[in-house]
Amino acid sequence: MQALISGILIGGVYALIGVGLTIIFGVMRVINFAHGELLMLGMYATYYLFTLAHVDPFLSIVVTMPLMFLFGALLQKTVINRVLNALPQNQILLTIGLGLIMSNTIMLAFTSDYKILSTTYSSSSVTVGGISISLPLVISFAITAAITMALYWFLLKTDTGQAIRATAQDREAARLMGINVKWMSILAFGLGSALAATAGALISPTYYIFPQVGSVFTLKAFVITVLGGMGSVIGATLGGVLIGVAESVGGVYFGAGWKEVVVFVLFLLVLLFKPSGLLGKSRT
Amino acid sequence: MKRSLPVALLVLAAAALAVLPKFVESTYVLHMMILIFINVIVGSSWNILGGYTGQYSVGHAAYFGVGAYTTMILMQFKHVAPWWGVWAGTGVAVITALVIGSICFRLRGPYFVLASIAVAEIFRVCALNLKDLTNGAEGILVTDIPPLMIGKTQITDWVSKVPFYYTGLSFMVLIIAVSALVRRSKLGYYFQAIREDQDAAHSLGINPTIYKNTALVISAVFTSLAGSLYGVYVGFIDPSTVLALDLSVQIVMICIIGGIGTISGPVVGAALLVPLSEALRSNAITDALIKAGLVNAESKVGGFLKENLAHAHVLIYGILVVVVILFMPEGVLGFFRKFSALAPRQRGEGGRRPGEGR
Repeated sequence: MQALISGILIGGVYALIGVGLTIIFGVMRVINFAHGELLMLGMYATYYLFTLAHVDPFLSIVVTMPLMFLFGALLQKTVINRVLNALPQNQILLTIGLGLIMSNTIMLAFTSDYKILSTTYSSSSVTVGGISISLPLVISFAITAAITMALYWFLLKTDTGQAIRATAQDREAARLMGINVKWMSILAFGLGSALAATAGALISPTYYIFPQVGSVFTLKAFVITVLGGMGSVIGATLGGVLIGVAESVGGVYFGAGWKEVVVFVLFLLVLLFKPSGLLGKSRT
Repeated sequence: MKRSLPVALLVLAAAALAVLPKFVESTYVLHMMILIFINVIVGSSWNILGGYTGQYSVGHAAYFGVGAYTTMILMQFKHVAPWWGVWAGTGVAVITALVIGSICFRLRGPYFVLASIAVAEIFRVCALNLKDLTNGAEGILVTDIPPLMIGKTQITDWVSKVPFYYTGLSFMVLIIAVSALVRRSKLGYYFQAIREDQDAAHSLGINPTIYKNTALVISAVFTSLAGSLYGVYVGFIDPSTVLALDLSVQIVMICIIGGIGTISGPVVGAALLVPLSEALRSNAITDALIKAGLVNAESKVGGFLKENLAHAHVLIYGILVVVVILFMPEGVLGFFRKFSALAPRQRGEGGRRPGEGR
């Protein structure tokens, strides 16, 4: 039960990572292998805001989110935009290369030491009905839920959000409807990186911070998006929670070392038997 | 004539490499050459699957690691000499490849890439956790390699780098020969047909599953050979060196940077990447900059370079990959070929040059 609850809580953050990736994929059909590195940048931004300016990690997302939005938009405009029509394999390698550049630049700038962000409440927990839950996890879940809600509102109710979804459905048709597809791509990549960075900020009080932390999350992000169906925002939200629970419960039953295997086996099974994902439409 | 010239050149190059250790005594040069050989082997074997058949596996570390682990476990715990263990390693790699192939080849494009990564990661986590078999994160350290004997004569005791040099060289010549053979054979055309359009190939009677698995098996055998050689040569393996995602990426990069789908691509890629990363790691570039008077050793910049450039080789890899994909998608070789084709010297009409990938 304990594992289930903490799985759901961490799953909320995973959902945020997955949603970012799925928006990028939906709009541009580019699989972003640098997604975890964007999250890592968010973690470092949070860490330095906390140690140098004493900004609370959960408050710092007000700064990191727009910052990483701009970074992502810039990345899309200058680099990724050039390979939109290239082979998917080349796109993958390009983003892998970008990820390597990010993680190693951070390593050169801040060394590869493990950093720990410890707030006054880092190790405190709340007890509800006999189950004790880590407090930072609860706060981050609340923030995640708020952001996810805002995101749904943005995508479903605003004109820009609808334009993004239209572009994701059919790029050509969207262009014919007078939607500025290029601008939507920039927006989507910015949004995706902002979400990844937010997730990074939210987990920074509970995770070690080091330059290579991204690759773990990149892989997890794929598992989540494929599980939910590539390009489906609701699917990614669900997939995130599911993976959080699978990892947490799997860790209890098979030991912490094996929890990743549980996730990857789940991933392969989904790829094999329902490659369109749990909520995805058929592949094109 | 056209075809015999490159063959003659290749034989010449092989002969030059074969006598190199007689003239060069520097162990550093030999070390570098062995690393280049290993990289050419993995690059070329990836190329058969990724370049010819178009299946971009980003999980080749699995075969490298399986080979290395089989050989090392047999040698260290069962006292089986590595030159037998290596073949056991290829056997295990073939089985692994068939299992992985039967799962992953149902998927295409980006889904295949993701599945190949997932499988390689499963192998890494297993190697970390099966401590009884693999020593877990501690890795396996070789204490001593038994001398190679034929009858009563000792061929080599594996103390110097020279025997490793020749082993690497012969494996490399073998894989290049296999690459060339596959390319010219019916098999190679099947592979390329699958790469260009799997459905069209299928409708022409080429069974994609069988031929993709064939390509994977060939690829896995040589990748595991390279892994075994690496393990025995370096004398130490652990999951984060021989089964890492970074390694898989690096294998792909060798081909991307050299030129995918060509025989010489991986050779060029390895010959560029290995010395570059070694030079960065050993601070040779910083020293050269200081010697040339471009950077003052005492100044802040000099200090910074000295401190950090050694760790920057992966960063340089990243930049290289981005630059290559953006500006020379056919690799360094393809880029220069295009460059020379742009020169005013006009070539004959049907001059499709040998080795042209796509």
